[in-house]
Amino acid sequence: MEFVYFLIETAIKVIVVFAVVMLAVAYMTWVERKVLGHIQVRYGPNRVGPYGLLQPIADGIKAFFKEEVIPEKADKVVYVMAPAIPLVASLSIFSVIPFGETVRILGREVKLCIADVDIGLLFVFAMASLGEYGIVLGGWSSYNKYGLMGALRAAAQMVSYEIALGITVLGILMLSGTLNLSEIVRQQIEGHWFVLYQPFAFILFLICMFAEINRTPFDMPEAESELACGYNIEYSSMKFAMFFMAEYAHLLAASSLVTVLFLGGWDGPWLPPGLSWVWFVVKVGLLAFFAVWVRGTYPRLRYDQIMKLGWKILIPLALANVLFTGLFMVV
Amino acid sequence: MWDRGAYEKLKAHFPEAILGVEESRGEVSVRVKAEEVLKVAKFLREDPELSYDMLVDLCGVDYPEREERFEVVYLLHSMKDNRRLRLKARVREGESLPSVQEVWRAANWLEREVYDMFGVRFEGHPDLRRILTWQGFEGHPLRKDYPVEGKEEGFELPPEPPDLEPPEWLKEEGDGRYMIVNMGPQHPSTHGVLRVILKLEGEQIVDAVPVLGHLHRGVEKLAETMSYLKAQTLTDRLDYTAAFSNNLAYMMAVEKLFGIEPPKRAQYIRVMLAEFSRLTSHLLWLATHALDIGAMTVFFYCFRERETILDILEAISGARLTPSFLRIGGVAKDLPDGIEERIEKFLDEFPSRIAEYEALLSKNPIWLKRTKGIGVLQPDDAINCGVTGPVLRGSGVRWDVRKALPYSSYEEFEFEVPIGERGDTYDRYLVRLEEMRQSARIIRQALRKIKDTPPGDIVIKDPYLSPPPKDQVQKEPHALLRHFKYFSEGPAPLPGEAYMSVEGPKGELGWYLVSDGTPKPYRFRVRPPCFVNLQALPLMVKGHLVADVVAVIGSIDIVLGEIDR
Repeated sequence: MEFVYFLIETAIKVIVVFAVVMLAVAYMTWVERKVLGHIQVRYGPNRVGPYGLLQPIADGIKAFFKEEVIPEKADKVVYVMAPAIPLVASLSIFSVIPFGETVRILGREVKLCIADVDIGLLFVFAMASLGEYGIVLGGWSSYNKYGLMGALRAAAQMVSYEIALGITVLGILMLSGTLNLSEIVRQQIEGHWFVLYQPFAFILFLICMFAEINRTPFDMPEAESELACGYNIEYSSMKFAMFFMAEYAHLLAASSLVTVLFLGGWDGPWLPPGLSWVWFVVKVGLLAFFAVWVRGTYPRLRYDQIMKLGWKILIPLALANVLFTGLFMVV
Repeated sequence: MWDRGAYEKLKAHFPEAILGVEESRGEVSVRVKAEEVLKVAKFLREDPELSYDMLVDLCGVDYPEREERFEVVYLLHSMKDNRRLRLKARVREGESLPSVQEVWRAANWLEREVYDMFGVRFEGHPDLRRILTWQGFEGHPLRKDYPVEGKEEGFELPPEPPDLEPPEWLKEEGDGRYMIVNMGPQHPSTHGVLRVILKLEGEQIVDAVPVLGHLHRGVEKLAETMSYLKAQTLTDRLDYTAAFSNNLAYMMAVEKLFGIEPPKRAQYIRVMLAEFSRLTSHLLWLATHALDIGAMTVFFYCFRERETILDILEAISGARLTPSFLRIGGVAKDLPDGIEERIEKFLDEFPSRIAEYEALLSKNPIWLKRTKGIGVLQPDDAINCGVTGPVLRGSGVRWDVRKALPYSSYEEFEFEVPIGERGDTYDRYLVRLEEMRQSARIIRQALRKIKDTPPGDIVIKDPYLSPPPKDQVQKEPHALLRHFKYFSEGPAPLPGEAYMSVEGPKGELGWYLVSDGTPKPYRFRVRPPCFVNLQALPLMVKGHLVADVVAVIGSIDIVLGEIDR
């Protein structure tokens, strides 16, 4: 009987998380356009609904009804499959993210996390790198030179920043001694947020995060002004939209991860345990806002400069961070 | 300015090759035997006293009734002494001239254009293909016997888009080592319909070949069917980001043909408008250049200021982009009431706006990384390629038409000519930013000078060159008749030729007009700064990466409406 309850509970959690994340992804596009608009002395979307609030829905409907064009020489199977990969990957990251304190519903202890697994962090990294495959395959299979260049850039960027990202997190692992994300948050609630112990790693992680999710100033695979949209150049209709949904989902997933690892997850004053997830949402929202802000401020780096930054600066710094964390712990 | 001593010197050196000298409207042209052009050109460049190191323009003129039908005209400039000289060589149909592109690299595309438009061949030219029309186009449009409406009979569209294949010399073996990528004509960062064929090794550029002509409208041919005043409307549409500069350069060439000078007030108004158009052009440049490099916010900031300027221009001339505001010997209307306050308000705000752009870009480490050391153009190369404007000044050559060959009372204004040090994309960026500040300074001075001149004195009072006032036209038959004749036929200058140039936002923008004594220009030649500047692109991007092509194209600041004409 307990097993059936568990299944029902998990199913409900999956549905709720999926729905909320997809809605958040849709409204991320609105937030991005609205915030960028105000940064750039214009209004952003304001025609569909009050403050343009229905714009994401209108965009979704439009994307669904657009004609789909598949290039004649494209590798059809890969081409059709590619947009799904990053979306699935970035959505599945949310399955291990803990959103809030355990709550009691109908006499059951319900953890606000779909799967509270012990290898949570490892799973996140695995899924995040899987997402890049979609970009590589999509660009490659569409038989377009710009697409190919975008795909190659994505592959190279992925490899270099994955390493730096992994090493940066090592510091956290050394402090917490666990890969379980809920456990990491709990330790921060009991002690201090890890951003205080690892401020350096926090900054490095943010930089690598931008590269990992292909956002300005590291949006190389896309680079609309030089590669004319790069990997998704031949995509249209919902497939095109899926790449973008994946990008925003990935942004939210990465922000959630930063919140969990450095900013104490759902930790925050005033709110009762049942509402602790509000703090989580606020922190993720602030990080997402930061990403939009950066996009409104910085130009794009060049491909070779990004590689240099990754290999020659970020990886050594991340290693140094690990070294000093180790020394600090021993002493 | 115009070199009267060169003829004697040349005659002494090449008694055979120099056929004579002519002067028209104070401009000196030396006639050279066609076969000897290369020798004379080399001498002109290398002789330390002459040192004509820049080829400003090279164009053809067709005289079907002459036996030696085509005249090829070279306009030379000496940076050292600020002198100019024109060479002319005549050839028969089917004959060819030696190419001078080894002396001045600027001649490369200009000779291709003459070949394309007139069918004159140049021997020794490494890549003599058509440039504004496509390969396989029949006929040479600027010949007088080519109908202006085009050949409708026997004209067939090519079965597939022409010029699909890159030129032979670009296709090399290498076993898949190189990749050929077409950047454009549909590409977000080529600023129009420019197509650049890139030969890449990985992302590194081995060679770059611009392909032009997608926007070719035959402006030079069309103008030959219009009166001098009406042809002004065509000039708006060349560099449509700075139409007043085009109007000004053209109208001054026309005025030189007629031998007149507009009243001071009109000159100051022209200066003010030309500087405003420089501001609109530079703002658009900064907006798109920053967007190309990924800084999208600057784009919108620049457009905000550009909008203010366009509103002011609209209040003055009635049009935002295509004003055609100048008239022979003046301007169309006096300034409207209350415009001074609007301009003053804008000028007061503008420095803080530039500071805003600078805050986002000038010290931004990513911007510096993307622009410093990218697309370096050495000063010697720049002069040899005929590059002018901010690109030349970015390379450290302090040369500005407004200072070197002042026009429209520019000598009365105080302003600095900024130059760069290294000739890279960042220097060109700084030069243009400083030029914007200087333009604002000139506008302020112009405004003050306009106040000191009598209102209404905006066009010369010449019954032949200007139309009668509107109220007379409505009352008196002779005025109506004159009005009709003026606008249907137009005034005709005496036969001769004239060249006038301005410092446009993109470089030296000049008009070479040939008159045969009729009310229509016999030859209407535009000296397009972007066309010549763009020639330096392959030189600047070789060895860089794809992303740099975008940055360099942006820093040359091209407008395809003017390149393709």
